[in-house]
Amino acid sequence: MWEQARQALDQSWARLLGQFAALLPGFLAMVVAIAASFAVAWMLAALLHALLSAMHFDQRLERGWPSVSDWSPHHSPALLVTRLAAAAVLIMGFLIGISALDVSLTYDLVHSIVGYMPNLMGGVMVLLIGTILARFLSRSVLIGAVNINLQYARLLSVGVKWMVLVLAVAMTLDHLKIAPGIVQLAFGILFGGIVFALALAVGLGAKELVSRSLEREAEKTPTETAEEPFRHL
Amino acid sequence: MSEANTLSETQEQIAGIGGADLVVGILGADETHSAGAAMMVRESLGALAERPKTVVIHNDGDGAEAAADDSFFVVRDRTFGQSPTVATVESVGAAYRSLFAAGSKLGARACCVVASNLQTVTPHWISQLAQPILERNFDLVTPCYDRHKFEGLINSGIVSPLSQALYGRRIQNPMGPDLACSKRLLEKLSGAANDPNPMMPLVRLAPEAIRSGLQVAQTHVGERVYPPTDWVNLSSVLAQLLGPVFTDMELNAALWQRVRGSQPVPTLGEEAHLTESQTGPIEVHRMVESFQLGVRNLQEIWGLVLPPASLLELHRLSRTPAETFRMPDSVWARVVYDFALAHRLRSIRRDHLLRAFTPLYLAWVASYALEMESGGEGVEERLLRLAREYEAAKPYLISRWRSPDRFSP
Repeated sequence: MWEQARQALDQSWARLLGQFAALLPGFLAMVVAIAASFAVAWMLAALLHALLSAMHFDQRLERGWPSVSDWSPHHSPALLVTRLAAAAVLIMGFLIGISALDVSLTYDLVHSIVGYMPNLMGGVMVLLIGTILARFLSRSVLIGAVNINLQYARLLSVGVKWMVLVLAVAMTLDHLKIAPGIVQLAFGILFGGIVFALALAVGLGAKELVSRSLEREAEKTPTETAEEPFRHL
Repeated sequence: MSEANTLSETQEQIAGIGGADLVVGILGADETHSAGAAMMVRESLGALAERPKTVVIHNDGDGAEAAADDSFFVVRDRTFGQSPTVATVESVGAAYRSLFAAGSKLGARACCVVASNLQTVTPHWISQLAQPILERNFDLVTPCYDRHKFEGLINSGIVSPLSQALYGRRIQNPMGPDLACSKRLLEKLSGAANDPNPMMPLVRLAPEAIRSGLQVAQTHVGERVYPPTDWVNLSSVLAQLLGPVFTDMELNAALWQRVRGSQPVPTLGEEAHLTESQTGPIEVHRMVESFQLGVRNLQEIWGLVLPPASLLELHRLSRTPAETFRMPDSVWARVVYDFALAHRLRSIRRDHLLRAFTPLYLAWVASYALEMESGGEGVEERLLRLAREYEAAKPYLISRWRSPDRFSP
């Protein structure tokens, strides 16, 4: 019986060693793929950085899309592009390496990661557009509110900015399928909260404004109601 | 009132006339004043040495039949339906372009536009504008209105002194809106295959005439009725007007960087001396408040446009009480130049940039109004002093225009 048990153990050990040996070329290929992707990523990053610097990419983008530099590392959109390109090459190298193992589990992993990529790209795009839109609307509201003499111009502008940002983040998370139920609930609470806060702030501010305006109207002397002398055009 | 022509009908009617010596466009003739517009043009021709073959284009032809004969034609064009004072820049631009096209098509020696409210326009205006072109060989005649100190402030504070500093000609109203131009100038204007600044052809007139070495004059026409201020849309008005001005500045950079100093242009006609009507104490608190609000809230935008010294000056100014509120002309001239430069560089979205200019403009208006109220200086002398400051600050503009990235304190 002991002999049979020993034989079973030997066979099991031999099978394990055989399977491990079969995996070795795959591991080696993975290591080579990752190492190569590191080298390619490094070279690509250096090349891109030199190219973008020569093009004065940061300065050009600052004029057209100033919000991009806000969330770029060291406020440099060129650095952001460089790092994104390098990260893409590294991820690709890692996926190639994983798939070289030729195991059904790794195949499923690669398949699901690749299948998730469109969601990731879509999410990034939504976030990017949301950030740019938030900045644009916030500026528009700020300038418009100042031009019509609203004392709470800054508050309105910040409120609009956060409303758009919250909406963009919620859309991004929904797109990435990360806790969709919680995101919807949290978004509803946050968005509603911001709108309510704005309504309260503006409502209370306007109350004061209306009363001041009525007081001024009542206190106006006949000379003050005379036609205004300024003609701009 | 019968319906005005469509564009194609207008073009057909113009083609049917064949040719003309003088084309007169009456923009914004409303129902109250349009009936007499054609008769007024006809009356104005009496002041000319020879009666030219004339085509009048306006938006209403009622009563025109009585005025028309074989050397006097009336054409209706619906694009002339709105006065430049209430219409958008696009519609005003379209009306001027339509008129200039008609003038070119008819081979007119002179093209005259009356765009002001017809309430104060007389036949004298048209003859004063057209005569120098038809009889004295001038190419562009702009108006000199009898000036009230608080009227035409965008022109007085920005357009006129800026044009003088850039192009070296002292023209009171370089953008009319009432004006006359010659066939030569029309040819130059239509010569550009793709108009880079189609929104406002008025902006191009004076620079194009100066660039081409054509003769420019201005003439006293009388008092003009200015439209009342629309405070809610003031920023839109400023943006619509200054956008084309700054764009034209960019297009003519090579021309104005060579110009030094300024010369007067021949001024025709006789100036009427107006007595300013008493308007009671002027109210500038709202304008000063608007500026102070701008200083508190628009720092991040102004910071992208203005150098630190100007920002510091504006900060100091915002703490000044309304009674002693004065914006130095040198600061104002630099602010205008910095905004023109930011418009060229697209430092921020152009619409945002131009609208963010409004509180600064109101600060200048408030300062100017308080200064004029305190007396001592006439409106002409005051605006002359402002124009000189624009000229004095021009080296600053040229320096920043050529090296925008160089640090400017």
